[in-house]
Amino acid sequence: MVISRQRLWHGAAVSGAALLAGVAVSACGASASAKTTIKAKAASARPAGKITVLVYGDAQNSVEKWEVAQYNKTPEGHKVKAVFESIPGADYQTKLQTIMSTSSAPDIFFNWGGGSIEQFQKAGLLMPLNGMMKANPKLKTSFLPSILNAAKIGKNYYGIPMRGTQPVVLFYDKALLRKDGVPVPKTWAQLLSDAKTLKRKGVSVPIADGGGDQWPTQMWFEYVYDRIAGPSLVTDGLAGNRKVWASAASRKALAYIKQLVQSGAFGPAKSWDSVKFTSGQTAQMMVNGISAFELMGSWDYSTIQSQGSTATGTNPPNGPGAAFVKDGKLGWTAFPSIPGGKGNSADLAGNTENYYSVLAKTRYPQAVADFLKIMYTPAFVKNELALGNLTTTKNTPKLISGPSAGWLRWQYELVNHAPHFQLSWDQAYPQTDTNTIHTAVANYFDDLNANQFIKAMESLRPAA
Amino acid sequence: MTTLTPSGRTGRNSGGARIGRPSFLWSMPAITFFALFAIVPLGVVAWLSFTSWDAIGSPHWVGTANWSAMFSDPIFLKSFRITALLTALGIVTQTPVSLLIGVWAAGPQRNRGILSALYFIPLLMSSLAISVVWVSLLNPYFGLPHELHAVFGGGLFNDGFLFSSPTTAIGVLTFVGMWQWTPFHTLIYQGGARAIPDVLYQAAAIDGAGRVRQFFYITLPQLRNTMMTSIVLMLVGGLTTFDTILVLTQGQPGTSTTSAAYYMYTKAFQSFQFGNASVIAVVLAVFTTLVSLVVVRVSGWDKMRSTQEGV
Repeated sequence: MVISRQRLWHGAAVSGAALLAGVAVSACGASASAKTTIKAKAASARPAGKITVLVYGDAQNSVEKWEVAQYNKTPEGHKVKAVFESIPGADYQTKLQTIMSTSSAPDIFFNWGGGSIEQFQKAGLLMPLNGMMKANPKLKTSFLPSILNAAKIGKNYYGIPMRGTQPVVLFYDKALLRKDGVPVPKTWAQLLSDAKTLKRKGVSVPIADGGGDQWPTQMWFEYVYDRIAGPSLVTDGLAGNRKVWASAASRKALAYIKQLVQSGAFGPAKSWDSVKFTSGQTAQMMVNGISAFELMGSWDYSTIQSQGSTATGTNPPNGPGAAFVKDGKLGWTAFPSIPGGKGNSADLAGNTENYYSVLAKTRYPQAVADFLKIMYTPAFVKNELALGNLTTTKNTPKLISGPSAGWLRWQYELVNHAPHFQLSWDQAYPQTDTNTIHTAVANYFDDLNANQFIKAMESLRPAA
Repeated sequence: MTTLTPSGRTGRNSGGARIGRPSFLWSMPAITFFALFAIVPLGVVAWLSFTSWDAIGSPHWVGTANWSAMFSDPIFLKSFRITALLTALGIVTQTPVSLLIGVWAAGPQRNRGILSALYFIPLLMSSLAISVVWVSLLNPYFGLPHELHAVFGGGLFNDGFLFSSPTTAIGVLTFVGMWQWTPFHTLIYQGGARAIPDVLYQAAAIDGAGRVRQFFYITLPQLRNTMMTSIVLMLVGGLTTFDTILVLTQGQPGTSTTSAAYYMYTKAFQSFQFGNASVIAVVLAVFTTLVSLVVVRVSGWDKMRSTQEGV
C-alpha cells in the first residue's frame, strides 16, 4: 500500500510537471531532491550529487571541459557537481548504445541529432527539452531554428547545439584550376567538363574520393538526390516511404552519378576503394595536385591544413598542407546546381550540428538546465570558434575573427540561407542502418547497378 | 582437500595406480575459470542468437528467426568461404617460409642469432600498428605501388590499386598476415630444430647424405610434431582473424574480404543486431571446434609420439 501510494504521488508530480511546463523544471528538481520519502525507483538509481556529461573524445574536448568547469563555479554547481567523461572517437556511438539503458548512462550526452538519438527516444530514454525552453526561452531563441529542428522528434526538441555545424562543400585547388584554365563549377555540366579537361591535362584523379571509408562516397548521393528530386524524396524515405527509392527521380539521380563515375572523374574504375579519407590520403592527393576537387565536410579545411604536419599539441600545423592553405590555394564552393532538377541549389547536406541530449531519468533537471545555458554564451562561442568550429548561435557572426574568418563567415551564411539542410544519411537513419547505406553507396560506385542500390535502400527501416 | 589428505588417497607418497592422479578437485580452479569465461559466455551467446536485441532495453525471444535469416543471407555463407580461404592461404604461405627460416636460424652461427633477433621484431608490434603501417605503405598514389611502379604496374597487382580488387585485397591480407606471424612460427621451428640430436646428422653425414637430403630425411620428419603444433595455431588464429581486416580492408571491396569474424563485428557493433551476430558467433565456434577436431584426428596429434624413440 505504502509503496503504491508513493508511486502514485510521484506519477502525479511528474504528470503535473508536464502539464505546467513553465514550472516543470523547478517542480521536478524539487521533487527529485525532496529527501528520501519520495525517492522513487527511477530517481534513486541515479548517483547523488552529480551529473555526468559524456562527449565524443577528441582534440576538441578542451571546450567541453571548460563548460563543466564553468558550470561548477555557479551556485547550482556547488550543490550538484558536473563530471566530464569521454569515449574515444571512433567507438563513441557503439559504446554509448551499450550503456544508455544501464545505470552508468550519462545525464547529458553528445550526439548528432536525427537517427543517432531516435532509438533512445523511442525507448523513452530521452527528456524532451520543451519544458526547459519554456522556462528559459533563450535556450530556444539563441540558436538557428533549422539547426534545432534537426534534433526535433515529433513536437519535441531533444538537443541543444554544442559544437559547430559541418556542411559538406566542394573543396578545390585554386592554383590547379587556374593553371589548367578550368572555371569553378557552378553547374553539373561544368563539373563534368572540368573533370574532362583536367584529365586531359594530366590530373589523373580530378576528384578525390575516400571510397575505402565508404561514407565519403555517400556525400555525392546526398547532393545529387537533393538537386534532382528536391529534399522531399529523402525525407519521405526517412519517414518510412520505401517506394521513393524506385521512383523516376531516384533513377535519374543514379543515372547522373553513373555518368560522373564513368567519365573517370574519380580516377580509374574502383581505384577509389584503395583510398581513404581517414588515413589522410585524400588530403594528400589535394595538396600534391593528384586531385583538384574533393567533396567533403567542412572539417576537411583543418584536415588539409594539417596534412604532412609534424606539429604536436596546440602548435599550428607546419606541413605542406599548412602551406597549401596559407598560399591561398585551397578554394571552396557550394555543390553545383543541376538545371531542371527540383532541388534548390542553396540546399545543404552534412552534419547539421552536434547536440547535448538529456537522459529522461536524470536526477537533477535543474542542474542540467543550468549547464545547457552555457551553450549560448559569447565565451562559449569564442572558444568553439577558436577551435575552428562554426557554432550555430545567432550571436556567432559578430564573434567571428582570426585568420580563417573568411571561411567561417562564408559557411555561416551558407547555413543561414539554406532552405534545407539534409543530415548525412548515415546519421539521419538509425544507427542499425548505417552499414547497409555505406555498402549500398560503395557498391553503386563500383558496379553501377541501380536495381541493387534501390533494393538495398528499400531494405532500410523494416517495419518494426 | 583437508578431508582427503588424512586418508592418504591423494598423498604424495601414495603408490600403485593412483600415482600422479590427483582428485577431480585439483582441476576445479581451471574448470571454474574455463566455465566462467568460456562456457557461460558461449551459453549466453547461444541464447542471444534466439533473441532480438539492439543493446537498448532487454532482449526478446524471436525463436529461430535469426537463424533462418542468417542462413538465407548470401554474405553470411560467403564470409565462411572467405574465412576458410584466408586461413588456408595463411597456412600455405607461412609454413614453408617459417620452416626454412626456423631451421636456418637454429644453426649455431652467431650472425644467425643476431639476424633472427631482427626477424622477431614484427611479432613485438601490435596487429593494429602493423596494419596502419601497411595501409600507408600500400597507398596507390604515395606508397610503394607508386615508387615501384615497374613492379606494381601490371595486372597482377591491379595496377597498384591493391585494395580495389578482391584478389589483390586477399593477397594483401595474406601478405601482412605472413609478415606479422612468420616470426612466431619461425621461433617454434627454431626450437624444434635445435632439439634434433646432432648424432642423427653425424650418422647421415657418414652415410654420405648432403644438406638437402639431411633436411628431407632427418629435419623434416623430426619436425613433424612441431609442424602440427604450428599449423593448429595458424588454423585457430586464421579462423578468428579480425584486427588486420578491420584496419586494412574493412571487409571491402564489396564484401570480398568480409570474414566471418569481421561480419560478426559489423552485425553486432555497427548494425546492433546482436541476435544475428550471435548466430555467426555460434556457427564460428562450432566450425572452429570441428576443424580443430578433424585436424587433431587426421594428424594423430592426440596420440602424438616422440620422434626420438630409439635415439
